Amino acid sequence: MPVPRWWVYLFVVISILGFLDATFLAVKHISGGVIPCTITAGCEKVTTSSYATVAGIPVALLGALYYFSIFFLSLVYLSSGKPILFKLFTHGSIIGVVASFWFVYVQLFILHALCIYCLFSAATSTALFILALLMVRVSRANQRSMDMS
Amino acid sequence: MNKFTSFTIVFVSLLAVGIGYLAANSKLETTQTAQKDLAADVTDADHTVGSSTARVTLVEYGDFQCPACALYYPLVEQVRKGYGDNLRLVFRQFPLRTNHKNAQPAAEASEAAALQGKFWEMHGLLYEHQTDWSDAADPKTFFTQYAASLALDLNKFSSDMASDAVKARIERDVVSGNSSGVNGTPSFYLNGKKIQSPKSPGEFKNLIDQAFNASS
Repeated sequence: MPVPRWWVYLFVVISILGFLDATFLAVKHISGGVIPCTITAGCEKVTTSSYATVAGIPVALLGALYYFSIFFLSLVYLSSGKPILFKLFTHGSIIGVVASFWFVYVQLFILHALCIYCLFSAATSTALFILALLMVRVSRANQRSMDMS
Repeated sequence: MNKFTSFTIVFVSLLAVGIGYLAANSKLETTQTAQKDLAADVTDADHTVGSSTARVTLVEYGDFQCPACALYYPLVEQVRKGYGDNLRLVFRQFPLRTNHKNAQPAAEASEAAALQGKFWEMHGLLYEHQTDWSDAADPKTFFTQYAASLALDLNKFSSDMASDAVKARIERDVVSGNSSGVNGTPSFYLNGKKIQSPKSPGEFKNLIDQAFNASS
């Protein structure tokens, strides 16, 4: 493995957290029925907004699928060590961080409401991306030193 | 796939099922406050539909920009039509101004329409077209369109919307809502008692039937 093994473990753990958070939001979205509007702004405003769905699909569901894919790929990589998997989950984390930036932007500047579960998701995506960035850098450096020797 | 991998996948899937179950059965906002009774009796000054001698009175505190209120609108209509004159429906303003920037102007539009005898018509239009005007920078253009479709006097509508009388009328409902323990919208009161917002017309009907039986 081109990177310390525990980095990948950490990646797996964070993707699980992201997956569970997104699952919570997705089930909430689908089953929640009517979430009343309350005096304090918050999740209701964010999760019922027009930005909470893309072509009728709840973004939380897409998020859950994303986290599960990332989780699955990194987990299988732990046991198989196939380079293609490494490439997929490290590069895949870009999707999450880009989506998160967009949703935080929407919450801050369009909806003016923050949803703690959504912010947690943004935090996990960002952590995954940073970790992936580190892994790619280290693996490339290792590759280079191996090529030279 | 080795044992560790399959075990982790099964474990995470079970965890997700558990979280999903929790999400489906819990409320996101757990603001459990004491259920207060309606603090202000229904008077002629209220927006009512149905007979004043109706045995059951349903009071709704609503915010025209609240998506939940718009979802309840057809439910309330269905229930109201089903009971006819036996049920009196009352709407009181409770714009959540901090969350919904267009809620106050929408309330003003409905009050301005009320001054020309078209409160309920405007109330319906506002809910039906909520998504059109909710995020609009200038919601008044939409409200004016609705007023025109109701054949209102547009000059009067516009000046009434901006009038202090209309603002005071809304404020009165907000004040009575606050003293009645309204902490979100919609909030329903059945014969003066606050009820948990029903999830279906059937549940709504059951609650009203109970109120009928209790009042006889």
